[in-house]
Amino acid sequence: MMYQYFNDLAAGLQAKIDENPEKTNARKKYVREVAKLGSRLYSENQSIAWCGICVPFDLLNVMGVTSCFVEFVGALMATNEIADHSIVLAEQAGYASDTCAYHRSVTGAFLENILPVPDFVIGTSSPCTAGLTVMENMARVMKKDLFVLNVPQIPTDQNVRYLADQIRDLVSFISDHTGQALDKERLKEAVQKTNQTRSLLLEIYDYAAMVPSPVNSKLLRDFGIVLPLFFGTDGVIEVCKAYRDELKGTIDSKKSGIEDEKIRLMWIQNRIQFKTDIDNMLEEEFHANIVIDELNTINWGPIDPEDPYEGFARRIISLPIGTDIEHRMKHMKDLAEKYKIVGAINPCHWGCRQGTGSRGMIGKGMKEIGIPVLNLEVDCVDSRNFAPNQVRTRIEAFMEMLENQ
Amino acid sequence: MYYLGIDIGSLSCDAVLIDENETVLASSVIPTGARNVEAIQKVKTHVLDMAGIQESELKAVISTGYGRNRVDKRLKAVTEITCHARGIKASLEGTGLLIDIGGQDSKAIKLDTDGKVKDFAMNDKCAAGTGRFLEAMARALQVPIEEMSELDHGATKNLTLSSMCTVFAESEVVSLIADGVETNEIVNGLNRAIASRTISLVKRVAPELSNESVAMSGGVAKNSGVIRALNQLMGKEIKVPEQPDTIGALGAALIALEKSK
Repeated sequence: MMYQYFNDLAAGLQAKIDENPEKTNARKKYVREVAKLGSRLYSENQSIAWCGICVPFDLLNVMGVTSCFVEFVGALMATNEIADHSIVLAEQAGYASDTCAYHRSVTGAFLENILPVPDFVIGTSSPCTAGLTVMENMARVMKKDLFVLNVPQIPTDQNVRYLADQIRDLVSFISDHTGQALDKERLKEAVQKTNQTRSLLLEIYDYAAMVPSPVNSKLLRDFGIVLPLFFGTDGVIEVCKAYRDELKGTIDSKKSGIEDEKIRLMWIQNRIQFKTDIDNMLEEEFHANIVIDELNTINWGPIDPEDPYEGFARRIISLPIGTDIEHRMKHMKDLAEKYKIVGAINPCHWGCRQGTGSRGMIGKGMKEIGIPVLNLEVDCVDSRNFAPNQVRTRIEAFMEMLENQ
Repeated sequence: MYYLGIDIGSLSCDAVLIDENETVLASSVIPTGARNVEAIQKVKTHVLDMAGIQESELKAVISTGYGRNRVDKRLKAVTEITCHARGIKASLEGTGLLIDIGGQDSKAIKLDTDGKVKDFAMNDKCAAGTGRFLEAMARALQVPIEEMSELDHGATKNLTLSSMCTVFAESEVVSLIADGVETNEIVNGLNRAIASRTISLVKRVAPELSNESVAMSGGVAKNSGVIRALNQLMGKEIKVPEQPDTIGALGAALIALEKSK
């Protein structure tokens, strides 16, 4: 059933794209890639891996492994309003209701057997150890082998070499399970594609930083965290080119992402995944625009196609929510300056170390550069923990405060 | 012409009517009850009758509070954070930090020298330490809420009560009563629990309080026991305006006047 759903979605989108390729918006191409991934995950005859967020997906794509990080499944379930049922199942199985709902939803889903059974599981200690325990549990319940990448927080040369060695071991682990050796020429080509994607993303983010911004609050939501799933493929290059051209077109035609942009905001970490009226409210009532998400960033250099392992390692360690607070704050301050924001919104996702756990340090750090931060006490996945009126009051008050400053 | 501010909270519905000289002509506080639209009409009629003016003489109405979008014929709905800040500027000039504890939420609001909101923090996911919390505790103690303010006198033990959850705190109060603990000790413990929770909010927006003039508005500010606990734990005098429960409505009325100019 799920295979059919994703397959039909991907085919339908492709038909629409073929019908009018010149007028296809970038978002359609992006969703098509997600649908194709969903379709492959539910196909037979595919090597499948459930993973942590910062696994080098370009490497897995080259090795013929269809893979996805589990938090994305939780996000998709919330977007499609089917997460609550799985969350309840996880809680009935004994998971505390104040733990992360990305993980509760995916745990409920695999306990209910609605997730494809993987061939193996790849966990990462970054960005959170709670995610790693989900992977450990998944591997145990599904009786599959687990490989863990222990990701250091600081990008010293020694740490990079340490992680690079683990990625080399990961290649052996995958080969042992798929029976396929790594094709070095294909890896080289994939890394070149990743580098091309990187360049395109830099262009996209530079366009987004313009005043007024050609993006609106929705256009690039969760872009930087989801897109790596498709690194090393032609599909992601097509998606990025489409976004780049779309933004350039908006700028060339002297249009902007939202009408009369007055307040420029940064969104910290991930968005709220179920439907809310926050984006519309910001744009329509306050002419406020989320021009940058914390994770929409490229703070890693081009990767050497001849020897990509250290490049992969540097990229993994550079994930803002996986690094230490000093690096994370510097990153946020750099974004604040580049994107000329006047305020930031931190959805303090219930049970999240990076969201709720660091909110005091983030608030203090941003205050140092004169940027106020609104802490929203929300759950980004479990809609039962979302109080719309309470959230509205906090956002309205924040907007009033920014308007008056 | 006249300007009306209406603050529709979860527990009370407040209105303040002013003229173009910012003079308060009438104010009223009534329970919101289950139907806030009826309460809005009632409180509006009440202040108009008190001042002896017709609704047609109103130039602008600003609404605030959780029911702010339920007010008809409003010029604008403005949040209670902005309205309380404006109201306290008019009542206690020079306030640098305002604590507002209402029926279901509490706020610490940092003000600039013009009385504008510079920063604010609100209670997290639960309403412990708010007006509802006090109501529940008064029920558990079987004392009228109005009498709670003076029931802490003579307490010496500085009991620590759970401030995490209203339900747990209520159960704790019942246990303490059963154990024979004096009412004044329990009430003092409750006040200290509210104060402790409030100070956490305050510290988020104003880590250093030594140079701040601190005031408190909202219905809970009428409870002098809570004020005493705050004074003690903060080591600072908390100023309370004459009518703390209508500060939000006053701010709304003043904003109505300013927006009409």
